[in-house]
Amino acid sequence: MDFFTGIWDAIDKALIRENRYEFYLSGIGNTLLISLFAVMLGFLIGAFVAVIKQLCSKKRGLGWIAKICDFYVFVIRGTPVLVQLLLINAVLFNYRGANAIVAAVMCFGINSGAYVAEIVRAGIESIDKGQTEAGRSLGLGAGQTMWLIVLPQAIKNILPALGNEFIVLVKETSIAGYIAVTDITKAAQYIGSKTYDLITPLLIAAVFYLILVFILTKLQKLLERRLGKSDRR
Amino acid sequence: MIDVKDLHKSFGDLHILNGINEHIYKGEKVVIIGPSGSGKSTFLRCLNLMETPTSGEIIIEGDCITAPKANVNLIRRKMGMVFQHFNLFPHLTIKNNITLAPVKLGIMTKAEADAEAMRLLNRVGLADKADAYPQQLSGGQKQRIAIVRALAMKPDVMLFDEPTSALDPEMVGEVLDLMKQLADDGMTMIVVTHEMGFAREVASRVMFMSEGLIVEQAPPDEFFSNPKHPRLKDFLSKVL
Repeated sequence: MDFFTGIWDAIDKALIRENRYEFYLSGIGNTLLISLFAVMLGFLIGAFVAVIKQLCSKKRGLGWIAKICDFYVFVIRGTPVLVQLLLINAVLFNYRGANAIVAAVMCFGINSGAYVAEIVRAGIESIDKGQTEAGRSLGLGAGQTMWLIVLPQAIKNILPALGNEFIVLVKETSIAGYIAVTDITKAAQYIGSKTYDLITPLLIAAVFYLILVFILTKLQKLLERRLGKSDRR
Repeated sequence: MIDVKDLHKSFGDLHILNGINEHIYKGEKVVIIGPSGSGKSTFLRCLNLMETPTSGEIIIEGDCITAPKANVNLIRRKMGMVFQHFNLFPHLTIKNNITLAPVKLGIMTKAEADAEAMRLLNRVGLADKADAYPQQLSGGQKQRIAIVRALAMKPDVMLFDEPTSALDPEMVGEVLDLMKQLADDGMTMIVVTHEMGFAREVASRVMFMSEGLIVEQAPPDEFFSNPKHPRLKDFLSKVL
């Protein structure tokens, strides 16, 4: 058997025989599902935490809210995501009997939120305070000024960092197998255990991740171009 | 129209304003001059609470803006402010820079605000820039747009914080011309500037600030020809 038929046989065994590609497809489905909702949850939490912190740290009597936000970031960044995943799953599973995908979405969303919060905070701080002053001098409130003037500019500045965070998040979901979610990685492992060849399915899984990240990168570039409209002279 | 009572402002141990008492009447064009660090910008920025005074009272058309329960946002609508560095919103077109506040505050509909923006842009000769972004404009054009943006709120008083200090010399004229037009229209104006020519020509009253106090004020003729305070004499001898 020559080299190429060997490769073909391995791929055939890992991907096609007994409709095994269906495993990957459902794995991709789960990876996408978890990633999509976790990215949205993470972005919402992160932007919310960063904005609340920014608005509350200046007001007297509301400093404790900023402290809570700091504590959240401290805990999430200071503990491994795998421990968080197992913990959240254990809590949800013990008390609610919720399914593992929900636990994964919650975990990765809450985890990503802490990193996004720091990114958004940096973005807000990168905007000249004259922008806030101009907004407030026109009679706009602090929240309106943040939402209409500061955040749109901040998001534009932090888009590369946000894209990076989301790419990391998609790849991080590969540990979801620990709580019995069949994502791409878990599907590959499962097939590997059936065919006694772990390398080929894992390589196939790696290719799927590459494609996902490639698409994300393209989307990010597209968004950057659209938001960069006002920069053109 | 604007009443200032015993206004103090300090940053830590640094005392910027040391008890200012002043009254500004409707239609006045007050020009504030003074050496840097004398507190003139801080005074101006206290008037619409861009800086929070350490103590003292500021009353704008009967509303005390320094009262703890004051609706600061509502009072600010009556006070347009123009900044040294323009502070146009770079992510919005010129027209949207102008219409943002009136529309979002529910003062005008989008159509009304657009019409008002175009009317003002025509007036300053920048109607062709309505759909451009701030980055595509020169400094003088940006500052004229910043003035228009403040005017779109139909303010009762305009505050100018060194509006020409960040401009190339050749662009100072176009901004001062617009400010003169505004003055001729009867707008109440408070201007912090280093443009002595503008003070002489447009001001109804010139104030000289030094070390956090208004040490001398007079109509421009008297102010420039017959200064009394030694600090002002010294200052004028350097800048004129």
